[in-house]
Amino acid sequence: MNAKSLLGLLAVVSLGVLFWWGIKTKDAREELPSALAGKSAPVFEMELLDSFKAEWGEKLNLADYLGKKPIILNFWASWCYPACYQEAPILEAGWRRWRDKVMFIAVDTQDEKDKGEEFVSRFGFTFPVVYDPRGSIGIDYGMYGVPETFAITRKGRVVERHAGSLDEAMLTKMVQEVLK
Amino acid sequence: MRRWLLAAVLLLGIAAAQTVGNKPPPDYPPKVFEIAKKLRCPVCRGESAAESNAGVTEEMRRQIAQMLKEGKSEDEIIQYFVDRYTDWILYEPPKKGLGLLVWLAPLIGLGLFGLGLYSYTHATAKREAAFEEAPEDEIARVEAEIARDSTRERE
Repeated sequence: MNAKSLLGLLAVVSLGVLFWWGIKTKDAREELPSALAGKSAPVFEMELLDSFKAEWGEKLNLADYLGKKPIILNFWASWCYPACYQEAPILEAGWRRWRDKVMFIAVDTQDEKDKGEEFVSRFGFTFPVVYDPRGSIGIDYGMYGVPETFAITRKGRVVERHAGSLDEAMLTKMVQEVLK
Repeated sequence: MRRWLLAAVLLLGIAAAQTVGNKPPPDYPPKVFEIAKKLRCPVCRGESAAESNAGVTEEMRRQIAQMLKEGKSEDEIIQYFVDRYTDWILYEPPKKGLGLLVWLAPLIGLGLFGLGLYSYTHATAKREAAFEEAPEDEIARVEAEIARDSTRERE
């Protein structure tokens, strides 16, 4: 093989490697890896939306629930339309179905409180929702955007993350994963 | 009088427009923005956490300012976000692994271009040298052949 062919081969291989890398690099939020996979769920203590204070107390501390039951942690906001509106009834139905085995907690993130309350009453949420106007819990969980859902085992490990609207099958899969 | 009244109303309107719904940004030290520039806005495309106005980046800048106040170094702060978002959060690809390829790609391209240019000029020079080195009787023979061909074409 002469120098010219070697040079051509090198150029083709380099372009091929760059092309492969470009394809491999994922940017769709739902395909991005979670840095938390397999790690302990970050704990937080945050004020609940007013509707939940009578039943769940003034604040919710995640540490109080870790170790008792697996947790489905969901992030939403009233301005997140239509994704959060599509999955809201599925979450409430899931909570009613699995509440004996799995704890559901939601975080209303970067929202206006009254709009968050409206959302809660519209979908009749009965599982606790904390109010995080700054979105600091979302940063702790490496959240890319709402809605996003994390499955946490009873031992407090994050085993799955889903970015985007949940459907029934996805929620069932997440619940089965944490109940293993 | 009417003119003065109109001017006063206009000025009041401008003053109101400056304050209503136009909250000044928090007065962070420049170091906060220097660090935020190195991080991606998680909910935007192609924007750093320093440029974006998304709520999450406002919180990121607030957290950076808080960590600087606590005496954390730039590396520690960046690592804090990498621990939560993976290397994806870095605005510039990391200079390791495949990210290194992105940094080296222009150099590799330049090197390949240089090599190509060298081999082309080298080959051209070689061809010219071969022509210059051709024996005189061979040149005369080729010239005669060309002359013969053109005479035939004229006939």
